[in-house]
Amino acid sequence: MSPLAEVVHVARRELWRSARSAKGIFLGLLSLLGALAISFVCVWVDAASRASAPSTAQFVELKTIALEKATGDATLAAYLASSPTALLFFLEATVWLTPAVVALLGFDAITSDLQGRSIRYWAARVRRSSYLVGKLVGLWATVGAVVLAMNAIAGCVVLGRGYVTVGQLIFWGFRFWFVAFVIAGAWCSLAILVSASFRTPMLSLLATAGTFWSVGIFGAVAAGARRSDALARGIVRGMNWYEYMYPNAYDMPLMSPERTKVFAAMGLMAVFIGAVTSIAVYLFQRRDI
Amino acid sequence: MKSSILATESSGSGLADAVVRLSSMTKRFGLKVAVDNVSLAINRGSAFGLIGPNGAGKTTTFSVVAGFLKATKGSVEVLGVPPTAVDELRARLGVLPQDAVLPPSEPVGEFLTFLARLQGIRGRKAVDAAYNALTDVDGAAWWRQRCGSLSHGMAKRVGLAQAFLGQPEVVLLDEPTAGLDPRVAFEVRQLIKGKRGKATIVISSHNLQELEELCDAAAILDRGRVVAAGTMSELTASNEEVRVVVGHGVRRGTELGSVPMQVLRDLPDVRAIDFDDAAGVLTVSFDRANADAEAVIGRILTVLLANQVRISGVSKGRGLEQRVMSVT
Repeated sequence: MSPLAEVVHVARRELWRSARSAKGIFLGLLSLLGALAISFVCVWVDAASRASAPSTAQFVELKTIALEKATGDATLAAYLASSPTALLFFLEATVWLTPAVVALLGFDAITSDLQGRSIRYWAARVRRSSYLVGKLVGLWATVGAVVLAMNAIAGCVVLGRGYVTVGQLIFWGFRFWFVAFVIAGAWCSLAILVSASFRTPMLSLLATAGTFWSVGIFGAVAAGARRSDALARGIVRGMNWYEYMYPNAYDMPLMSPERTKVFAAMGLMAVFIGAVTSIAVYLFQRRDI
Repeated sequence: MKSSILATESSGSGLADAVVRLSSMTKRFGLKVAVDNVSLAINRGSAFGLIGPNGAGKTTTFSVVAGFLKATKGSVEVLGVPPTAVDELRARLGVLPQDAVLPPSEPVGEFLTFLARLQGIRGRKAVDAAYNALTDVDGAAWWRQRCGSLSHGMAKRVGLAQAFLGQPEVVLLDEPTAGLDPRVAFEVRQLIKGKRGKATIVISSHNLQELEELCDAAAILDRGRVVAAGTMSELTASNEEVRVVVGHGVRRGTELGSVPMQVLRDLPDVRAIDFDDAAGVLTVSFDRANADAEAVIGRILTVLLANQVRISGVSKGRGLEQRVMSVT
């Protein structure tokens, strides 16, 4: 059996298991309720923003300026200014919340199998690398499905308020979901790396949360330093190399209207996920189970 | 079935058809040496026991052979490849791990079908193989039941079903009857007996009676080392020693009702005799090259009955338990 076939078997089982487990159902429902609440907040912010501008044209102009300040990219700002504001806010909220969803869904992906030793039923049947990659793909697919459902809820709310047409919702909805989905992959790889390193789920949860917090704070400090530098010098620069270590920093490049930037960002994300997964596989193959 | 041959590497014998081979294998956990320089070869078709008291290193040895643990030193081969070579061992190696929890929320049938698919069995055949494996352990009724709702005995049987799933060439069983009530333990033993000859079976256990009943060869471990190894008859000396338990109060002597030592000593092929007055056990060693145990038992009983000695029991060899006690 090829490693790919093994990965598919493990990933499919993981996805199915998440969909049926009490934890998976609870977290799924919690995420959807959270998405509903955030959708209303986004719609409210959208309405407040529109109200602050005298006309739609001026609203778009103000939005473009604000986005250019935030991203330092005039082309991207102009492109995003045409997107539904509520959905854009929702995307940012999703990107921020995804690590929490990943941490809660993924902290015990491997740890629970190690703790109960149920992994030993699989040891003679599946390569450890395939098992680990299968777990990653399963977790990623689960998180992707949850984020898609969250986006669907947000889309329905925004559509109900008449802020978007169905065509806009489908285009921007999938575009934004794709961004969140790609970034989620990086967080999933980190979660799997941590989960494969511990036997006790509680320790794994703490370590996953600690790792995510550390990466998040590192990213926030790095981005903050660049922005304060831009304010001081009046020149907006692109991301420093070390900012690419923070998965959420990829949201803007992934949303770019320029294909080369999108593909470059996807390539870097693939390198990130590949590097973290390779470390996880390397360590996992050498450990006792 | 071929006779089981086990050899430590020092003896260097009988390794040609070994399906499990350990060469100078050492496993350390930090500073603690759990298994120290163990060499074993287990031949195809045998039922082999890993024996030893708690902490002897049998589960560690088992876990290294199963690929759960990495040997610190030395080499381990199963069917000619390292135990971590999953692709080569897929569907050829079955393992019943000790204390491994079945996935609680998963129905038994689904779990076994998933394992069958991982073994490379496709489509409907995977479901059939899983169902057949469960039927073999009398568990067909649990197909839709969640693993978490199974009793300990039922879970053990499901564990056995997955170990024998797809009829692997080598099956490793770690404490297959531990924690089971006597009836279920008996049924599990019958199940394993039924599989003998169809696969090489390695059983790690400290239930000596069980191993004596199930295995035709064994290695006795103590403090991480092999202290004795061989076929079961070699270990128990069943082909060179006979024991007769006589009635309470019977003494040695020439009068009727006593054990006539000199007459017994003069029997053909008898090498030595010993009588434990306190325990009432007569031990007769014989030359296994010229006589088998049954013939010797016949001669001894003829003499004892002629002398009107009351007899409580007769056995071949000294029993595995005594052998283990003597070397550990």
